Amino acid sequence: MLLELNDVSLSLKRDGKYVKILDGISLQVKKGETVGIVGESGCGKSMTALSVMRLLPEKAKLEGVIQLDHEDITSYSKRKMEKIRGNKMAMIFQDPLTSLNPLHTVGRQIEETLILHTDLNKEQRKRRVIELLNEVGLPRADEIASEYPHQLSGGMRQRIMIAVAMACNPSLLICDEPTTALDVTVQAQILDLMNHLKDVNEMGIIMITHDLGVVAEVCDRVVVMYAGKIVEQANVKELFINPKHPYTKGLLESIPKLGVKKAKLGSIPGMVPSPDKMPKGCRFYERCSSAMEVCKGTTPPMSSVGEEHTAACWLYEEKGGEMNGSSGSEGLEATLHN
Amino acid sequence: MALLEVKDLKQHFTIKKGFLGEKKKVKAVDGVSFHIEQGETLGIVGESGCGKSSLGRTILQLIKPTSGDIFFGGKNITHLPRKEMKELRKDMQIVFQDPYASLNPRSTVRAILETPLIVHGVGNRQERRKVVEGLIDKIGIRKDQLDRFPHEFSGGQRQRIGIARALTLNPKLIIADEPVSALDVSVQSQVLNLMVDLQKELNLSYMFISHDLSVVQHISDRVAVMYLGKIVEIADVEELYRNPLHPYTKALLTAVPIPDPTKKRDRIILQGDLPSPINPPTGCAFHTRCPVATPECKEESPELREKAMGHWASCIHVHHEQSEKTKINIS
Ligand SMILES: Nc1ncnc2c1ncn2[C@@H]1O[C@H](COP(=O)(O)OP(=O)(O)OP(=O)(O)O)[C@@H](O)[C@H]1O
Ligand SMILES: Nc1ncnc2c1ncn2[C@@H]1O[C@H](COP(=O)(O)OP(=O)(O)OP(=O)(O)O)[C@@H](O)[C@H]1O
Ligand code: SF4
Ligand SMILES: [Mg+2]
Ligand SMILES: [Mg+2]
Repeated sequence: MLLELNDVSLSLKRDGKYVKILDGISLQVKKGETVGIVGESGCGKSMTALSVMRLLPEKAKLEGVIQLDHEDITSYSKRKMEKIRGNKMAMIFQDPLTSLNPLHTVGRQIEETLILHTDLNKEQRKRRVIELLNEVGLPRADEIASEYPHQLSGGMRQRIMIAVAMACNPSLLICDEPTTALDVTVQAQILDLMNHLKDVNEMGIIMITHDLGVVAEVCDRVVVMYAGKIVEQANVKELFINPKHPYTKGLLESIPKLGVKKAKLGSIPGMVPSPDKMPKGCRFYERCSSAMEVCKGTTPPMSSVGEEHTAACWLYEEKGGEMNGSSGSEGLEATLHN
Repeated sequence: MALLEVKDLKQHFTIKKGFLGEKKKVKAVDGVSFHIEQGETLGIVGESGCGKSSLGRTILQLIKPTSGDIFFGGKNITHLPRKEMKELRKDMQIVFQDPYASLNPRSTVRAILETPLIVHGVGNRQERRKVVEGLIDKIGIRKDQLDRFPHEFSGGQRQRIGIARALTLNPKLIIADEPVSALDVSVQSQVLNLMVDLQKELNLSYMFISHDLSVVQHISDRVAVMYLGKIVEIADVEELYRNPLHPYTKALLTAVPIPDPTKKRDRIILQGDLPSPINPPTGCAFHTRCPVATPECKEESPELREKAMGHWASCIHVHHEQSEKTKINIS
C-alpha cells in the first residue's frame, strides 16, 4: 500500500472554537492506482488532501494515522514533512496562477524543486527542466523555460504545475481540481497527459474533482464524501453502475448526461449541514428519501455492500452486520420497515 | 415571427495595449445572426473568451453594439431612445453566473424582488407584495424567509432568488449567463428543473449561455456553438449532438468527459489553446487547431451555411447534405 489513512479526523478553529471538518476518514491508495474523491463543495475533499500533505491552516488538530510507504508520517516533524513534500509526494492545485511565483521564470521554479530535492548539478538541472517541459507536452521548451507565468495560457500553466510536481518522480501525486479552471478542449489535453504520465511512472494518484465525468474517465476507484465523512467507496465501474448510498445515487441522477436527453433531472432537496451544526445521526438524513427512524439518532457504520465496495448507510447494515461481526439489530429493524 | 432576432451583430472593443498604448480591437462578437422563438431555449456554448457574455450583454444593450441589428417582437430595437429602451427592459431580463455577487448583500429578499417593480412603477404596495409572494412560491422559498438577507441562503437558493428577480416584471426573454456554473451538481439540477418548469408555465424564451455541453443539451431546443466571436454551427439540439458537422463542435463534444466508465470513446484532442481575439487567425479562425484544415482554410473565410434542414455550419470542408447550397437568411 502506498498511502493509507486510518481514522483521520481534522478540526479547525473557527470563530474561536474548534469545528470538526473531517471525521474518521479511512482510505487507501495503491501504487499505480488513481483514486477519485468526489462530493459537494465544502465536504472536505481539499482538507483531506492538505492533511496528507500537512499543509494545514494554523492551529489545525489532526488525529488518526497517515502512512506513506508503510511509514507513519503523522509523527513527522515539519522539517521532515518539507523533505518529502515535492519529493515523495506532490500536489497540483486548481488555480496554477496562485501557486506559481509571478516573479520567477517557470524554468527557475521547476529548477528550485530540483535544487531542494536532488544532487543534480547546474548543467544536469537545466537539462532536466527542458526534459520535464517536453514531457508535459510544451512546445519550444527552451523559450518557455525563460517565460513568466502570466505570459502563458491557463492550460500551459497547469502543464508547468504538473512539471513542477513531476520533477522528482513522486510516488504519490495529489490533484485538487486540476482541470476545473480550464476549457473542455484544454481539459482533455491535460487529462490525456495525466493518463500518459501515470502509465509511465506507476504513481499513485488522488484525483479530487466535482466532475463525475472526469472521475469516470481517469479513476480506478472512487471515494464519495459527504459533510466531512466518507459515505461510499467502490471501484469506478461498480460505483457508477451500482451505487448504494442514497447520496451517491442522488448525485448520479442529478447530472445531465451527454447523449441522453431527459425531461427532468433528479435532484437532492435541501442543503449540506454546516460543520458546526452536524446532526447526530446520519449526516444525510435531512435530504435522504430513504431515511428511517434509526438514521436520525445513530451514525451508520461503514458496511460492506459488495466486493471492495463499502457504504455508510443503515439500509445496508443488516448485510454489513454479518460481515463486520457487529450486531445490526437496529439496522435490521430499519431494513424491514423499508 | 421570432421573439428575438439578431442580424450580423458585432461587438468590437477597443483596448490599449503595450508600452505605447497602441489601440487594438477585440472582436468579441463578430457578425452573429440567429433568432429565438417564443417559448424556445437557444443554448450558446463555446470556450472561455469566445464572446458568449458579450453577445448576451450586447443584445440587452448593456453595451451598445458596434454594428448589426437586434429585433425584438419584430421591432428593431438597436437604436431606441432611452425611455423606450427602459420600457423594453421589462421584457428582457438577465440572470448572472454568480449568485453571491449579483444580489445586494444589504437588501432583504423582499426588497431585492420588489425593487424592479418600484423602479418601473408597477402596482401599489399591496399589489407588489402579492407579486413578490407569488414569485417566491414558484421558486420554492418560504414566505417567512422573505425578510432574510442573501448570505442566509445557500448558493442554489440564491440563484433561485436571482431567477425570481428576473421574473418580477413578467419578461418574455431571459438571458441566462452561466446560471448554474457556480453550483454543485445536486443543486444545479434543482435550478435547471426550476427553469424548465417556469418556462412551461410562463411560455418564456431563454438564451442559455454555458460552457457545459451536457447542461446545454439538457435545457436547449436549439444550440449555437461559438468560436472566437462567431457562430460556427447552429442546429436543433438532437441533431447537433448526434450529428455535429463542424470540426470544432466534433472536438468539443468528444472532449467532454462522460460520467460512464463503461464507455470508452475516441477523443479528438485539439492542439494548442484558443487564439487571441485581438489578432484572430485569417481565413477560418479555427484553422490553427483544426485537425482537417487544408491550405484553403487559411485563405477563405467560411460563411455560416445551411448544410441540412435547419442545420447550419461554417466550414468549407462540410458538404451540403442536399444538392443546393443556401446562403444564410434567417428572416
Ligand atoms: N482555513 C480554514 N479554516 C476553517 N475552516 C475551513 C478552512 N478552510 C476550509 N474550511 C472549512 O472546511 C470544510 C471543508 O473544506 P474543503 O476546502 O476541504 O472542501 P472541498 O470539499 O474541497 O470543497 P470545494 O469543492 O468547494 O473545494 C468547509 O466547511 C470549509 O468551510
Ligand atoms: N469590456 C471589455 N473591454 C475589452 N474587452 C472585452 C470586454 N469584455 C469582454 N472583452 C473581451 O472579449 C472577449 C470575449 O469575452 P466574453 O466575456 O464575451 O467571453 P465569454 O465567452 O463569455 O467567456 P467566459 O466563458 O470566460 O465567460 C474576450 O477576449 C474578452 O477579453
Ligand atoms: S443512513 Fe438513513 S438517512 Fe442516511 S443515507 Fe442511509 S437511509 Fe438515508
Ligand atoms: Mg476544494
Ligand atoms: Mg462569460
